[in-house]
Amino acid sequence: MNECHGCNTCKSADKPLEEFIAGLPMETSHHRVDSQSTKCGFGLQGVCCRLCANGPCRITPKSPRGICGANADTIVVRNLLRAVASGSGCYIHVVENTALNVKHIAQTKGEIKGVDTLNRLASIFGIEETDVHKCAEAVADAVLKDLYLPEYEKMQLTEKLSYGPRYEKWKELGILPGGAKSEVFHGVVKCSTNLNSDPVNMLLDCLKLGISTGIHGLVLTNLLNDVVLGEPEIRTAPVGLRVIDPDYINIMITGHQHSMFTFLQDRLTDEDVKEKAKKAGAKGFKLVGCTCVGQDLQLRGAHYTEIFDGHAGNNYTSEAILATGGIDAVISEFNCTLPGIEPICDELKIKQICIDNVAKKANAELKEFDFENRPAVTEEIIDEIVAAYKERRGSVPMKLMKDHGNDNTLTGVSEVSLKKFLGGNWKPLIDLIVSGDIKGVAGVVGCSNLTAGGHDVLSVDLVKELIAKDIIVLTAGCSSGGIENCGLMVPEAAKLAGPKLRAVCEKLGIPPVLNFGPCLAIGRLEIVATELAEALNVDLPQLPLVLSAAQWLEEQALADGCYGLALGLPLHLGLPPFVTGSKVAVQVLTEDMKKLTGGHVIINSDAKESADILEKIIEEKRQGLNI
Amino acid sequence: MKYVIIGAGIAGAQAAKTIREKDNAGEIVMISADTHVHSRCMLHKFIAGERDEKGLDFTEKDFFEKFNIDWKKGVRVEQVCPQQKEIVLDNGEKISYDKLLLANGADSFIPPVGELRKASNVYGLRNLSDAQAIVKEAETAENVLVIGSGLVGLDAAYGLLERGKKITIVEMVDRILPVQLDVHAANAYQKLFENAGVRFVLGQKASEAVCEADGKIHKITLDNGEELACDIVIVAAGVRPSLACLEGSGIQCDRGITVDAGLKTSQPDIYAAGDITGLSGIWPNAANQGKIAGENMCGGSETYIDTYAIKNTINFFGLVTLCVGRIQEEEGDQIQIKEDKTQYKRIILKEGRVEGVLLQGDISHAGTWQYLIKNKIDVSKIEKNIFDINFADFYHVDEKGQYEWVS
Amino acid sequence: MKRIMIDYQKCDGCKNCSIACMQAHRETQGTVYDLDLTDPRNESRNRILKDADGQYKPLFCRHCDDPKCVESCMSGALYKDPESGHVFYDETRCGSCFMCVMNCPFGVIKPDAVTKSKVVKCDFCVNAGGEPSCVASCPKQAIYVEEV
Repeated sequence: MNECHGCNTCKSADKPLEEFIAGLPMETSHHRVDSQSTKCGFGLQGVCCRLCANGPCRITPKSPRGICGANADTIVVRNLLRAVASGSGCYIHVVENTALNVKHIAQTKGEIKGVDTLNRLASIFGIEETDVHKCAEAVADAVLKDLYLPEYEKMQLTEKLSYGPRYEKWKELGILPGGAKSEVFHGVVKCSTNLNSDPVNMLLDCLKLGISTGIHGLVLTNLLNDVVLGEPEIRTAPVGLRVIDPDYINIMITGHQHSMFTFLQDRLTDEDVKEKAKKAGAKGFKLVGCTCVGQDLQLRGAHYTEIFDGHAGNNYTSEAILATGGIDAVISEFNCTLPGIEPICDELKIKQICIDNVAKKANAELKEFDFENRPAVTEEIIDEIVAAYKERRGSVPMKLMKDHGNDNTLTGVSEVSLKKFLGGNWKPLIDLIVSGDIKGVAGVVGCSNLTAGGHDVLSVDLVKELIAKDIIVLTAGCSSGGIENCGLMVPEAAKLAGPKLRAVCEKLGIPPVLNFGPCLAIGRLEIVATELAEALNVDLPQLPLVLSAAQWLEEQALADGCYGLALGLPLHLGLPPFVTGSKVAVQVLTEDMKKLTGGHVIINSDAKESADILEKIIEEKRQGLNI
Repeated sequence: MKYVIIGAGIAGAQAAKTIREKDNAGEIVMISADTHVHSRCMLHKFIAGERDEKGLDFTEKDFFEKFNIDWKKGVRVEQVCPQQKEIVLDNGEKISYDKLLLANGADSFIPPVGELRKASNVYGLRNLSDAQAIVKEAETAENVLVIGSGLVGLDAAYGLLERGKKITIVEMVDRILPVQLDVHAANAYQKLFENAGVRFVLGQKASEAVCEADGKIHKITLDNGEELACDIVIVAAGVRPSLACLEGSGIQCDRGITVDAGLKTSQPDIYAAGDITGLSGIWPNAANQGKIAGENMCGGSETYIDTYAIKNTINFFGLVTLCVGRIQEEEGDQIQIKEDKTQYKRIILKEGRVEGVLLQGDISHAGTWQYLIKNKIDVSKIEKNIFDINFADFYHVDEKGQYEWVS
Repeated sequence: MKRIMIDYQKCDGCKNCSIACMQAHRETQGTVYDLDLTDPRNESRNRILKDADGQYKPLFCRHCDDPKCVESCMSGALYKDPESGHVFYDETRCGSCFMCVMNCPFGVIKPDAVTKSKVVKCDFCVNAGGEPSCVASCPKQAIYVEEV
């Protein structure tokens, strides 16, 4: 017997990572896939109901209704609406904190790094204010006001931020959202015990939540962050476990709320703080990117070259990052901070600090982010991390992976930086699409899960299939982390693309997969799509554009997916979202949705088949546009 | 009808029970040198003091009364006379039979090294009487020398560890459990025994052993000249079928008694089962043979089909191991290994078939491997990690609800 | 004898049978609500296997007509009850040799996870009412008792 915790770890697209995890002496989520492999069929199909004391009720041929009388359709869609409402709540929480942060920075005359974005937002919102701080405050207030509206009052910014034909469609369907927080409230009320039983009515609520999630939770969070954190700039950067430099005090960050880190981030490079690190024996501090907040930092990395060494990995890489021993502290503010990191942190004496109580980990210290007291709290955090560094270094084993990942992943791609790269307008891209050099566009977004073939397996395989078909891939979310670590975002990956796309990439010196960063940046993809549709004067469903959340994991991904459906886009999922027990839900999501919004859901866990299906859709859309 | 069974091990007991199920009226006589029915596989528990004589009994409560068996214990069979259809006991008594089962097992083999065979403190570990004698001798002994590091040798050591003895185990080859395990798995046990205080002397043979004035051997000299002090010597160098009483009987023997598929010997109405046949030294096989012989003694026509015997389980210090089939690697083998801190698993695959399995640490639900190996089932078409193959891949339930293998 | 019959195509892998088995054999008092699902001593005697196609195949002791576990038992701990036909296990007699684990051709038996000194095997719930708890808990009637 050897020291490995267990050799039944699941597969990873990233083979060196798979090997690293299999050899670890501690348990990770990759080890637990096997022992959780017998899944309850009722749960998988979404037909287990625990909404009342009569439950759990489960649907079988002999018991087609729960005790209350709810049938499979009601039970399934109630469960789905719960998940979507919850997922929406997560993103709305993020945008609320982000807007508050912009407001506080504006009020305290802090640095406004993205004046262009601020002006863009002010112009969209109709705010005429020349003082940047007053303007930023007004922008933040407008967002907050919308978020706090009651459910019966429609949000003001929806129309301003959405594409005209889409807005009209939503209005027609009666799914324009009221206040985003109230919509979450409305959703959870609706799916509670013995209230709504109409599956179609509840599915429309899912779409409504999708819209508020998409426009406020996604699009606005990105833009508000651009205002205070700096706009993305295209560049190349190192990715993977190689970014961990043991000479520094390393802080792994997890979450989705980059704005909560800014003060700490800036302090860590101040001379007096660096001195603390040096006294402890380190060269200074480094932030190691993990999950979406790491992607966000990578995206804006041009502004943070000193403190940020690179993005190490996504959600299900986090345990491996910690297991290297090179991390001294984890600061988390949101998901995806796996509970499974806790015992690893304990074992390796890694200090865990949570700065938002919604994501308080069991063994972590809660140091809530508080704008007013941030200098004092930040000093406390820094001192604790330095203490952890002194306590653990030398006493815990190091298992660094200096060869993992690569040094030249293309990053910093946004709706603005990409357009700039193309010469200030979308014409070059449209021309390439029209000429067929780029057959179409696929957004491969969402998370990594461990059950759709293994960690990042379906996402990476699907991307390879798509680019081989000359379909350019845009990514956002943890999918980005896996795809970049597997080397698909370096310019040399062009050789994996089909001949036409390869030629385009080689000419431009870009990879065939463009990384927009965190899952929040799905909002940026939507802006690109909208601007392309505008330029072509068509509606979004007509574009040769598909979405795939191949390895969706969380409730948030389901809310994102509903946004995609509301936008009228074909949405591929590797695994069904616990709905297959309802014939109505399946029919509406996979077929009838085409008539409602133009979008539909495709469920397929085979990369090749999925790529073929998505290619066929793209070809049909091309035909529809006569190109 | 009078059935006579020589031997009260599992083969004999199983035969007696089977006969009684078939023939309610017949007379059944069992004869054994043993005075207690006991499981040889648990003798180490007796040595350790964990169980008494009764605790070694593997038969059900009131076995002899329940099945109406006349058990003559503490007597040996001197002669078998097929012509007269009778046997002669060491007390002079003659017992006639209509059907006779030879299930008197095997005896420990004491190699002809020095005066091992002559000394009074040299024991095999085969019968309860051996264990009793060892326990008695151990009362005054300090140093124990075990020759052979197979399962019996380790059993003896394991039991005597409980009595706080200083134990040295001498093994001819350079590793322990050479027949059962690969080096890696064997090392795990070696470490556990060493941690418990046992010393292994590997790659050495005893070359000299001289009885001293008290008739005992107090030191053994090895090939390399090293001298090992000992107060008891336990020889675990294998067994030989107990054929002595068959001399002159005309019953054909080779290594053991020669039997046909129905376990009949060369002489009419005489059957053999268990270790005396030399077919296998494994408990379940002996049980199966006893059952088949019993059936056939009652006029049945069963055959001994499930002859596969290259299998073992080991459990020392809570570390369990199961080994079935081939252990040694051959050309063309595909060796699959799975190892972590709780288990070591090794599978030998050849041409799509599993030829050997070794599981250490976790042997849960491992029975399927024996079936796969002994029936040479092709597993190459199963799209699973080899270690994940299980009965689900061959699953069938018959109309009576019993499982069947389908491949 | 009575046997738990299996219609595997109905099995949904919910593992209700496993929880029912753990509850029926727990060492502590209590209801299924307080059954400690993290205590390794609470082991299920049944398992839901999956074949290569992902089809669930329930594995329950058959209490075989010719039980290979009993044949391999060198301590007398395992025996086939002549009256009920069920194969019972007397933990106090067990010699922990695990030959039964090796000899069950279907892989039903396993050593206990905590002490590795006994085996975990179906007892047809003789001490828990005599009707198998797993059967009562199956929401799909994928397992049911029949006289065979």
